[in-house]
Amino acid sequence: MIHKLFYWLIFASTITLLGCVKETTLTTNPIVDNYVFDVNGEAIYQSGLQKNKQKSPEQYISILYANLFQTSIPIDVLGVLGEVRVAIGDKQMANELILNGFVHEPDVLILSNNEMRNNLDEFINNIYLRFFLRTPTAYEKFELKKMIEEDSNLTPELIYQGFALSNEYQFY
Amino acid sequence: MTAASSIVAPYILPSGRLFAASGTRIANHVVFVLFGGGIRNQESVSQQYLANQGLTTEGNIMPNMLEGAMPTSNLVFDPWNPAITTPLSKQGTLFKEVRYVSGPTGHYNGHTVAMTGNYTETGINLVANPEFPTIFEYYRKHSDPAKAAINSWWLSEGLGPYPSLNYSRHPLYGAQYGANYLRPASIIGQSGYEQFGNAESYQPDDVQRILKVKSLLDNNFHKDVSDLPGIQNTPEDRERIKNFLLQELEDAVNGNFDVATPTNTYEGLTGDLLNISSAWHVLREFQPELTVINTVNSDVCHDLFSLSLDFLHRADFGIGWLWNNIQNHPVLANDTIMICMPEHGRNLETNALTDSNGFGAYDHTGTDNARRIFTLVVGPPDKVVQDQSLGNPNIPVAESIDVVPTIAKILGFEDQIPAGMLPGRFLNEAFI
Repeated sequence: MIHKLFYWLIFASTITLLGCVKETTLTTNPIVDNYVFDVNGEAIYQSGLQKNKQKSPEQYISILYANLFQTSIPIDVLGVLGEVRVAIGDKQMANELILNGFVHEPDVLILSNNEMRNNLDEFINNIYLRFFLRTPTAYEKFELKKMIEEDSNLTPELIYQGFALSNEYQFY
Repeated sequence: MTAASSIVAPYILPSGRLFAASGTRIANHVVFVLFGGGIRNQESVSQQYLANQGLTTEGNIMPNMLEGAMPTSNLVFDPWNPAITTPLSKQGTLFKEVRYVSGPTGHYNGHTVAMTGNYTETGINLVANPEFPTIFEYYRKHSDPAKAAINSWWLSEGLGPYPSLNYSRHPLYGAQYGANYLRPASIIGQSGYEQFGNAESYQPDDVQRILKVKSLLDNNFHKDVSDLPGIQNTPEDRERIKNFLLQELEDAVNGNFDVATPTNTYEGLTGDLLNISSAWHVLREFQPELTVINTVNSDVCHDLFSLSLDFLHRADFGIGWLWNNIQNHPVLANDTIMICMPEHGRNLETNALTDSNGFGAYDHTGTDNARRIFTLVVGPPDKVVQDQSLGNPNIPVAESIDVVPTIAKILGFEDQIPAGMLPGRFLNEAFI
């Protein structure tokens, strides 16, 4: 059934193109170069205070993809996600849906709960490097470690989403 | 006592003016259909069918919205039996001659005028939000108590500039009063399936865990993202809408997605009908008080006149289907008023293009005929005057800027809107 719907949507897109097109031109923003936002796990910020610029939607999606899959986002995926994001008025909701889709992809790189709990200090250090490009302060490490230890159902999948939806992750 | 009939005691504002905290409502739900793509009165309310293409065949190709027999010969569209037994024009008031008085007759301009209640006289930046407040912003800012975003929705058939219409750039209004926006075809179609096909709805406990981690991190960071562009729902409403969208996607995958076609299958489904179908799903799920949707497929009339009639016929079916569903909903039935109006018309004269039937095509270039439209107001007989038709080609009876003040009156906040913001009028002739 879904395939029929997709065929139909291709037809519908064709029909839409037959109508007025002058008013529906979209400006395409340049693709963000992920090189700027290194995915090699290097600490490039001494503190979150150094982050003051909010990421553009394309930056956010590109970096999120790189953080979760450890590879650059394919251009066609970025294009599709850009459309999906435009199609939802609440951008926070759009981000959450995109993130939800990512973390349930089969090739996403997320540790298991056991792997995380086997070495919590290393996990916390790495997740801060991965998402925030900085090491955690001692207090941040203490807080997160305490939260994980007190809740056995707090999995890496959920923690990753907390990081990806955090305010700091929206800035660089 | 229902909310619709309640009157809250007046109070004195600091300015000394006396207002009712909340005005009397005519109904608690409004659905505004921008029945568009540019529709000529000739083929719609005048039911002339092919009479302007060198043939004598006339007839009504909008049997759900209008009273009149469908053409029986020279059929260039696939005739569908109506979704309703009584045409909507008999269940309300038809303003047969309405004018889009000034400004360019472009689709986005027409939408903007209809949704802001103000004519835009100059060129419009197509990537910017409108200059004047939208009906959503008036509704959310001036209703008392204030309304959350989940109570107002804007669903469009296509993208382009239309996502910008859920709020304006007016300094006193803006995104904080905007509506939820959705372009269903991008979510439940290929794009959405590719990206959200693996997504899962989380149990409330896990949602709280995610938010707990986020909160911990946010407490240690010096900035917040309150300046994220666009509207924002409350966390609870956002979760409801996310789950709704994922369910929509799952229903589409499993073939359980109700669509506005005679057989409830994708056979004959158009972009317009998908948008109408999704609008119904939103109405069914959230019962918003203010919903605005559009149809645009008939715009193929720029070069394919025959196909534009087919799209018009199908969109009409969708409107009947939508109204039928509303009348069978326990909350929405008898408490919903629907208003249908094209964003603009089309030219009287054909352009140089003809379709495979040899029929001429029509553009919309600011001519008088492109400013002729109609407005249909449908509602319960104790609220809306039934079976009434007003106006003729020589006597226009309303303007496209009148819908916004009419909605404001229906939902009871028209007195709260600052004077001078809305030049249009309440279409009082349509109401009991």
